[in-house]
Amino acid sequence: MSKHQALNTFGRSGNPVFGNKFDGDAQFRDLPAAQKMTLEGTVNKTGMLLVLCFATAAISWNIPNPVLMIAGMGVGFIAALVTIFKPTMAPSTAPVYALAQGLFLGGITVIFEAQYPGIAVQAIGLTFGTLASLLICYKTGIIKPTENFRLMIVSATAGIGLLYMVNIIMTMFGGGSGIGFIHSNGLMGIGFSLFVVGIAALNLVLDFDFIEQGSENGLPKYMEWFGAFTLMVTLVWLYLEILRLLAKLRSN
Amino acid sequence: MDLNTFFFGGLALVSLGAFFYLGKFKASKAQTERDDRISWTKGKFNWRSCLTIALGIFLVFFFLSYLGYS
Repeated sequence: MSKHQALNTFGRSGNPVFGNKFDGDAQFRDLPAAQKMTLEGTVNKTGMLLVLCFATAAISWNIPNPVLMIAGMGVGFIAALVTIFKPTMAPSTAPVYALAQGLFLGGITVIFEAQYPGIAVQAIGLTFGTLASLLICYKTGIIKPTENFRLMIVSATAGIGLLYMVNIIMTMFGGGSGIGFIHSNGLMGIGFSLFVVGIAALNLVLDFDFIEQGSENGLPKYMEWFGAFTLMVTLVWLYLEILRLLAKLRSN
Repeated sequence: MDLNTFFFGGLALVSLGAFFYLGKFKASKAQTERDDRISWTKGKFNWRSCLTIALGIFLVFFFLSYLGYS
């Protein structure tokens, strides 16, 4: 089985990292069982990525340094792009992404923690709480993702992405604080953060469905790393948004 | 250890345990055996609708900000 066929296996999820074609129609049936993607393998690899992320976050937490943070953000962004466009490289790029994001998250968490003591453990608890709750909802069939569900989540994610991009551009080119309520702690700002947290959380459901169907279709083994990577991307986003929401609530 | 750390730290640990345990099981039949599942196979996603809705969401928030809501 060539890697090119495997490359065509990706579908369109709400998660921005999915973008290619998904030709999963039985083209991987000939793969030996040991070379197929499994749920257990994906969960184990997610665990490995979380351990790597926590390890570098601990370094960045204990040695707060803007250079580490910016390097982590930059390297993470590049590793994410490589993983998205070259999923066959996920076994090596996904761990790099996790390590780099750990450096970034550790640094940014220190900044929030200094302003609002105790916020880090709250954000971590709520992020993993959301992960487990939505996994239970997905596995039991309480939340059933459909094509319309996917359309709404992908659209909302793209809309939020566009809003953030315009905000950055406005801030860079003298538009003051950009789009005001994104950072405000008023009713609108908190409502916006709640909306973004909701969309980020529902992206997890799309990730679960992609991983579930990927293992049903017996995709190649390296897709376990890709599945774990997609979960990490969504978890990092969800954690940052929960951190921002909690900060807004506590600054009132 | 204060109450905040105990509660949210405990929540994180229990949730991670649930994720690593439940994640290894297949989803229920209510989830997997239905006709309206997402088709990850090619050509089903409506990118035009997606872009329209995304632009709509962007414009709503942008104009709310423009009108001074915060």
